[in-house]
Parts: sequence; structure tokens; C-alpha cells
Amino acid sequence: MKRVGVQIPQFFIIFFLILMMFLAFRLEIPLNWIISDALVRLVMNGVLVLSLVPMLRAGIGINFGLPVGVIAGLLGLCMSVNMSIKGLLGLSAGILFSIPFAVALGYGYAGILNRVKGKEEITATFVGFSFIPLMNFFWSTAPFTNPAMLWPIGGKGMRPVIGLKSYFAKALNQLWMVEIAGVRVPIGLLLFFGILCLLLFLFFRTNFGRALKAVGENEQFAGLAGINISRVRAWAVILSTVIGAIGICVYAQSYGFIELYDAPLMMAFPAASAILVGGSMGRHTHIIHVVIGTFLFQTTYLISGPIANELMIPEVAEIFRLMITNGIILYALLYEGGKSHAAV
Amino acid sequence: MLELRNISKTFGAFHALKSVSLAIRPGEIHGLVGANGSGKSTLLNIISGQRIIHDTGGFRGELLYENEPRRFASPGHAIGAGIGMVHQEFALIPGLSVSENISLTGEKIIEFSRKFLGNDLACINRSANKANASAILRRMGIDLDPGLDTGNLSVSMKQFVEIAREFNRDRLKLLLLDEPTAVLGTDDAARLMDAVKGIAEHGTAVLYVSHRLEEIVSFCDRVTVLRNGEVAGSLDKKQNGIKALSDLMVGEKVIKTNRTPMKASEKPVIQFSSFSVEKPGDRLESLDLAVFKGEILGITSLSGHGRTAIGPGIMGICPSGGSVILHGKALHANHPLKMIKKNIWMLPEDRRGEGLLADHSIMENMTFTAIQTQKKFIRKTPVPFISFPDEKKCRAYAESCIEALDINCRSVFQKVRELSGGNQQKVCIANALSMTPDILFVNDPTRGIDIAAKESILGLLVNAHATHGMTLVISSGELEELRRICDRIVVLYRGRLFDVLSPDRNEKDFILACSGIRPGDS
Repeated sequence: MKRVGVQIPQFFIIFFLILMMFLAFRLEIPLNWIISDALVRLVMNGVLVLSLVPMLRAGIGINFGLPVGVIAGLLGLCMSVNMSIKGLLGLSAGILFSIPFAVALGYGYAGILNRVKGKEEITATFVGFSFIPLMNFFWSTAPFTNPAMLWPIGGKGMRPVIGLKSYFAKALNQLWMVEIAGVRVPIGLLLFFGILCLLLFLFFRTNFGRALKAVGENEQFAGLAGINISRVRAWAVILSTVIGAIGICVYAQSYGFIELYDAPLMMAFPAASAILVGGSMGRHTHIIHVVIGTFLFQTTYLISGPIANELMIPEVAEIFRLMITNGIILYALLYEGGKSHAAV
Repeated sequence: MLELRNISKTFGAFHALKSVSLAIRPGEIHGLVGANGSGKSTLLNIISGQRIIHDTGGFRGELLYENEPRRFASPGHAIGAGIGMVHQEFALIPGLSVSENISLTGEKIIEFSRKFLGNDLACINRSANKANASAILRRMGIDLDPGLDTGNLSVSMKQFVEIAREFNRDRLKLLLLDEPTAVLGTDDAARLMDAVKGIAEHGTAVLYVSHRLEEIVSFCDRVTVLRNGEVAGSLDKKQNGIKALSDLMVGEKVIKTNRTPMKASEKPVIQFSSFSVEKPGDRLESLDLAVFKGEILGITSLSGHGRTAIGPGIMGICPSGGSVILHGKALHANHPLKMIKKNIWMLPEDRRGEGLLADHSIMENMTFTAIQTQKKFIRKTPVPFISFPDEKKCRAYAESCIEALDINCRSVFQKVRELSGGNQQKVCIANALSMTPDILFVNDPTRGIDIAAKESILGLLVNAHATHGMTLVISSGELEELRRICDRIVVLYRGRLFDVLSPDRNEKDFILACSGIRPGDS
């Protein structure tokens, strides 16, 4: 029997969202603005959340090492900007350039994770954390030449924030933007996300996808059936890393800036919260969890800002966000821990 | 000392013990024997107050300990009352020395420090503990330095330390020994029995469980034989002999033969020579055996004597040595995929752990291995490396299996987790059959399955054998089942081939062979 029904994280977030909606209505914050922004934010973060799915399905756990994929994506984006490719073409080039990096980094990352079976999540967290200072060193000496990316004074090393306005900021957001009843619907963006979800869905229906799920569920069985477990796990990690790289490209074009240095440090946590809010429970993760989770989670983020600005000091919104993000991860870890404890 | 009156215990609908009575006097060594599943462990668990008894609803009947009715709710209570138990598995702490292990929780402390620090924090008197430990070891007739690290000791020494720890208790009145000699060689076993005898002379009662009938005969004052959860009889020192015991263990049974043994072809399909498998807890050592094409070969032994090791060894799941010759060619067993390509497969004994994807549907379980390794039930796509399972073919196969194997389920999409043990085993068999292997190794096919389903599983295996002409190697502890369906039965003893018997041999011969005794000698 499939478990249906609302669990504690969903209950909280939906309750919170309803409360926000009510307040937004009282404060006369325009609803159509909220909806169109919610749609954009769904895709902006949704691809990053989607990148967690292959690793979860393969039983490796939440990809707290998402920064690895993010860095591959940033490298691709920087190369694209360095060549001054503009518009959608620039974004596509960024994605294309980042994939080889993602595959290579993912392969190494998978090698690490295959050595620490059973402790993947904590290892992944620290792989992410320790990779960032290494990359900081790279960014400050990177051989890029486009002055828009370099420090204005001295002309060496990358800026922490690179504006994309004259390159491909909002290139995908604006694609086939249609206004319906005052709500601006980014059809191109939604279509892109939809196709990505569909591809991943189809992937899990292939033979290899099935093998991946089997490894996640029962390694002994998969091993007896002649499946090379390390190889399947490695592919799951690589796939997660590649989707993560695509995710940051979409995120950056939507945000309008490339953020380097310490920015990827905390990328994994909101994504992890979102997928947990969606109802993911370890390897029981479906793509619908990604969509629902990202939508609920990001919409809560979105409305809490203006409301807090109206009612209280602005910082309160940020405090609530952090409480929600980390609280949900804590709950999920407790729930998983409790389950394995009960099984003993 | 200890008296049990009409003890009954049920696990769900299963009657593990049916009104068992027995009495042990102080200083007596009381043997307890019975075939696998006859209720010996349950009885020990009841006496020693293991939690599992309490958690599954307690037991019925009276347990009189020192003439008082008692019911131990936890092992702690039993220990407090002076009952010691030595388990089959070691409960020693590897990092501590022998003397520390022996004195654990009963340490001698420096009296002076207790005044300041209280009982829990008082300083331990190391030299006194060491002296005490070596005194105990000497009394047991063992020469062992109590300062050694327990983790580095040999298996037999660990067993002695384990028993020494029980001896260390001041108030040890009843000692329960659960197959203490299973891991020991003959010399060590004799030493251990001498030590236990020494303890018994001091007035401690001993309840001794063993599969080794010759030990029981030479060593116990009285023996109680359990059969299917009932007391089959009780013998004392004068009457008991190995024959008398095995008669009682078997009882009067009518064997119905399901299948007339076929004339084995002369051609060996697979040949093992000095084949060893390092399976944890079930080692197999230098097996020399030829399996003939189209036969059903049974492998039996007591648990832990190697009967389940051959399958994992050949599939490359457990490390193995020696040589295997398949169809006249040398075979290097190292990866399941290679073996599947050679049409060899194995059904593991642990269905839930290794044999099934519990959260996947019946259909996916039945077709998984064939799809992944043999490219059956596959729909190709024009894109290279990408192919999808053919749902229609899968479904047709699953439905035909459900019908043919009589699997009780709602639909092919039902999750395997929800099925009963017997039906899960049938799904496993369907998965194996989907690959049409030439040789199938089956481990404990009827373990944990109710009687009705057992019959149909055995029928299925025989049927599959007849229709596909596959060679079956079935290992099981259920002698009666093997004798009904096999052409030859291999008996292993301590990981080595002991004898190859024909299924029409007397059941007593099998029981004796499992304990390492040939019918000729006695």
C-alpha cells in the first residue's frame, strides 16, 4: 500500500502557508504577483531539488555535497561569460560546458562515497564544505579574461558576484512569457523543468534505472542478480552532480547573478528541506515530491518576506526561514533514525 | 533445584513447546537433545528469562526454582537468582584482557576507595582480579595467562573464557550451556567437559544442550529428548546409548516418497575438488564432490556445519578456494554475473535480506534478474545503451507464474512485502525460473514457512526439475524433506564432507551422520 496522507513536515508548511496567505490578503499584497513569482521560484530552485533524486533512489541519501555539482555549473557559466555569449545561447553554452566538469567531479565524489557506505550523508556534507575553500583559491587565481568578471581594481581574480544583465540574465525566464489574468506565466521555464522531470522519470523506467532502484532497496539482492553495485552507485552520484550543475545554471540566470566563493556553501540545505517537505522518505522519493516540495517551500519563503517587512523588522523573515529549513532536516533525520531504531 | 511443570509456549499460531516437564537436581548434569526446531532454544530462553519470551506473550506452566515458583522477566533477574548461561555466540569484549572479561560486573575492588567514591566509582583491584581469574582457569584445567587480550584468543579459548566468567559468580547454582562444544575440537571439548564436571561436583546443576550425541551419552547423568516441542522421553545414565537417543529423536514416522529417484547419468555436470568457502558462521572445507546432470542433490548438516556455504561460494558472494570444473572446463567463481552467464544461480536462505525487493511488485521481482542480466523481457530503443523492460511480456510471465505456482496475491502489482513467507519463496523461485538456469543451488527452501506451503514449494522444485531438466542442489536442515525429493544426500560434519547417503537409508543413519558417527561404530 502506498502511504497516503499528510505527514508532519507537510502539515507544518501547509499550515504556515495558509497563515501567510491570510496575512498577505489582509495586508493587500497583490495575489497575482505572488503567483507569478512562485512559478519562477519553483523552477529556479526545482532543478537543484531534482538533482537529489538519483542519489536518494540509489540509497545513498540526501546529497549534502550538492556544492560539488554547483561548482561544476559555475565553472561552465564562467566559461560562457568569458566568451561573452549572450541570450539563451549563452545559457545553453554554460550548461553544456559545465557537464564535463560535473561528470569528472561526480566521478571523484562517487569514489569517496563508495568508500564510506553507511556514512554517506555526513561525508557528503564535508566533501561540500572542504571543496569550497579549494575552489576559493581557484577563483582568486582563475585565468578568465572578461573584465566584467574580474576585480575592477588590479584586474586579477574573480569578483564574488558577477552580474549577468548583459549576458543571459532571465533568458529562460522571459522565454514565451504569457500574461493570463494578470498572472505572468513563464511557459518556457516551466516547459524546461517539465522536460527535465520527464527525462528523469523515463530514466527510472529504463533497465539501468531499475537496477539503480534495486541497489537502493536491497544491495544483497542486486549483487546476487549480477549487478555491479559500485558502478551503479557511481552513476547515481554522477547523475545527481550533473543535474546539480544544470540546476545552478538555471538558478543563476533567474537570479541574474553568478555568485562565487562561499555562496554554494549552503545550497544543499534549502534543497534538502524542499524535497523532505514534498514527502520524500529516503529511497521512497518520487518526482512529484520534488515539485510539491519546492512549490510549498519556496512559496513560503516568498510570501514571508513582504509580510515580515510590513508587520515586523525585516530580519524576522530570515530567522523564520532558517528555522523552517533546518528544522525540517532535523525532523527528517530523527524520523529516519527512529525508524531504523524501531526495526532493531 | 529446577523443576519445569507443563511448560507451553506459542509464537503466534505456532506451538514451540507443548507441556514440557523436566527436573534437575543440584550437582546433576542434565542433557537436552532434539532435532532442529524441536524447542530446545525456546526452553533455554524461558529458563534464563530472555526478553523475547516476555515480548511474545510469556509462557504457560510453572517454573519452580529452588522450590519457589518464579518467572524471570529479564536475564538480569535470572542472573541475580544464580542462573548462568553460555551462549553459542560469544559475548566477550575483545579489547579487554581475559581477567577483565571474567570479572566484568563482579570485579574485586579496593575496599578503602569505596568509602570515598562509592560502589560505582571505587578503584578496581587489578591484582586480586587477576589472581582470581587464574585460579578459576586453573580449576578448569586451562593454562592461560589472564593478562592476554581476549580479542586475540583462539575460538576454543574464547569459549573457555566465556564459561570461566560464569564460574566466577559466587552464587552460580544453575548453568545453562547452549552447544558449548559446537566450535571446539575433540580435545578441547573433553577439557571443557572435565571443567563442567568439576563445577557440578561443587553442587551446581548443569543443563547441557548439544547436538553431539556421543558427548551427551558419556557426560550427562540424565537426558531429556525433545521432539516437536514435546518431551519424547527421558533416559538416565544406564539406559542411554546413542541408538536409544536417536530412536527417541526420530520417533515413529511414515515416510511418504514423492518421487522415485531417477537413474543418475554418469556425466558430472559440475565437479568440486578441495572446494572451500569462507562463509561467516558456516564454513565449508575442502569438498570433493561431483554433481551429475539432472539429479537432485541434497546437502544436509547441523546448522553451522557448512550446508549453506556451497551456493554463496560458487556465486562468488563469499570467498572460496579450490577448483570447480563445469562441463569439463575450469571455472573461476568470483562474480554472480559470470555465473548467471553460465546458467548457474542460487536461491539464498535469507529471502527478505537477499532474495527479494520487498518494496517492489511481484512482477518486478519475478523478472528483475532476467531483465538485468539476460536481456529477456526487454524492449529495445533506437538509442544505444537505453532499453526499457517490456511491461507486457513481464506481466504475461508474472501472471503465468502466479497461476502455475499457485501464488496467493491480489495482482501482479502487489508489493512482495505484503505476501506470506511461502508466497514470497514462490516469487523467488519464479525469479530463478525466469532465467532457466542449468544448475540451481537452493538454500533452506522451506525455512520459516508453514507446513502446507512447504509441501507446495517442494512440489514446485521437483516439478521445475522435471520440466526444465535442471540440476538442483538443495541444502536443508529438514532431513525428511530432503529424503523425499533427493537422489543422493550429502552429509557435512564440521564443514567437511562426511558421507553421501541414499535417501532410502534409515533416518537414524542420517541423524548419526550429522553428529559425525557412522552406523558401524558405536
